[in-house]
Amino acid sequence: MGEAIVITSGKGGVGKTTTTANLGTALALQGKKVCLIDTDIGLRNLDVILGLENRIIYDLVDVLEGRCKVHQALVKDKRFEDMLYLLPAAQTTDKNAINPEQMKELVTELKKDYDFVIIDCPAGIEQGYKNAVAGADRAIVVTTPEISAVRDADRIIGLLELEENIEPPKLIINRIRQHLMKAGEALDINEITTHLSIDLLGIVADDESVISSSNRGEPVVMNPANPAAMGYRNIARRLLGESVPLMTMDKQSTGVFSKIKAIFAK
Amino acid sequence: MKNLVQIRGTKEGLVLQLDDQCDYTDMLNELKAKVSDPALDGSAEVQLHLGYRYCTEAQYKEVVATIQNNSHLRVSKMRSEVISVEESNKRIQERQSETYVGIVRSGQVVKAEGDLVVVGDVNPNGRVVAGGNIYVLGRLKGIAHAGANGNREAVIAASWLEATHLMIDDSIETMTDELSVLSEQPEMECAYLHSNGQNIVIDRLQELRYIRPQISTFKGGS
Repeated sequence: MGEAIVITSGKGGVGKTTTTANLGTALALQGKKVCLIDTDIGLRNLDVILGLENRIIYDLVDVLEGRCKVHQALVKDKRFEDMLYLLPAAQTTDKNAINPEQMKELVTELKKDYDFVIIDCPAGIEQGYKNAVAGADRAIVVTTPEISAVRDADRIIGLLELEENIEPPKLIINRIRQHLMKAGEALDINEITTHLSIDLLGIVADDESVISSSNRGEPVVMNPANPAAMGYRNIARRLLGESVPLMTMDKQSTGVFSKIKAIFAK
Repeated sequence: MKNLVQIRGTKEGLVLQLDDQCDYTDMLNELKAKVSDPALDGSAEVQLHLGYRYCTEAQYKEVVATIQNNSHLRVSKMRSEVISVEESNKRIQERQSETYVGIVRSGQVVKAEGDLVVVGDVNPNGRVVAGGNIYVLGRLKGIAHAGANGNREAVIAASWLEATHLMIDDSIETMTDELSVLSEQPEMECAYLHSNGQNIVIDRLQELRYIRPQISTFKGGS
């Protein structure tokens, strides 16, 4: 029996879908059988980020309304042997097409065959959110070092704490820009964790290649040298129970000028 | 026949003592007759003593109207020895203190009839409402409303007072820039309604025992 994790944030655009894609991929790379569910019905994206858009035949609503079997709708990611599957959202209807009970049933079914069922939650706290959290055992809240994102995360955490079947949520701080944090222009990690007072699961650096790799349909985590990928890999290892220290965000500058400065600093 | 309505002069002024065992209409009729007596022609203030009779709000208004419409007397005060169970329970609740352990997060509302103690932070857009005082053992960064049922003596105290909105009874204060000058160091502070009855002011928590000495219910001590 696997476990179901919902990735949520309240605010849109903080990186829920990117996080879902990358954590799923990282867990698959670690040898776990993973199923990703996109619950953002009407505005599906997860398939695009994974590069699986062209292979969708059936979707979540088709499964829940009995038009097909679950295994017919699951899209296999061929890059990861038999490890990573996606259940895409429907694009032609909206979030009210399904209800929390149906989701709960589906997730319970999928947990039998997969080590991890990762549910990508839509933005907001309405029907879509309720559907997404219904079957989850654990929750991960994604935020960025912006006050608006942290406020919404606080709201979502409050709602998640009311859910009796979900463990206390864990936090991922996404899109960290070290120079802004150092200059005091962005909230720092400590401020965010004391404000939200939940456990920090990991931090992810803001990196341009996250965008370019999403556009190519290859989750950035496939490139192990990338700083953002390191963040996602560490989070995946922590999910598997390893204790990995929080990475330092200091970037070593390699320019000529900084080398000269370093010489004078001695 | 027993006098159902007695008029007595006391140190505090004229007192109308109404019998509390007889029928209500009998009492009202006699009251009407007594106050209409032309001997009572001067205008004066009277106190109404109802004894152990329970009067509903409507009945009380009727008694007062009977007096004021038939004489020059004005009812200045009412004293009754009984209250309803409902009101009694409400008074007990208002005097009680309720404790909430945890964080009041954005969008959450924690309400108490009496005093409210929050062990944890109140985050922005979180709201705490109390009929009495509010004490926050943590950071108050959201909205606090003390004395919500009309208690203008209520206070808001916090280990860290950085609220966005403070309300006491029907007064509201948004924490503007001018106010944040007052609370440059938001540690261990309390907010209360100024004696002018309009502004909410913030002071050090140490001053609370002088500002609202009645909050302390502890008797004796060394």
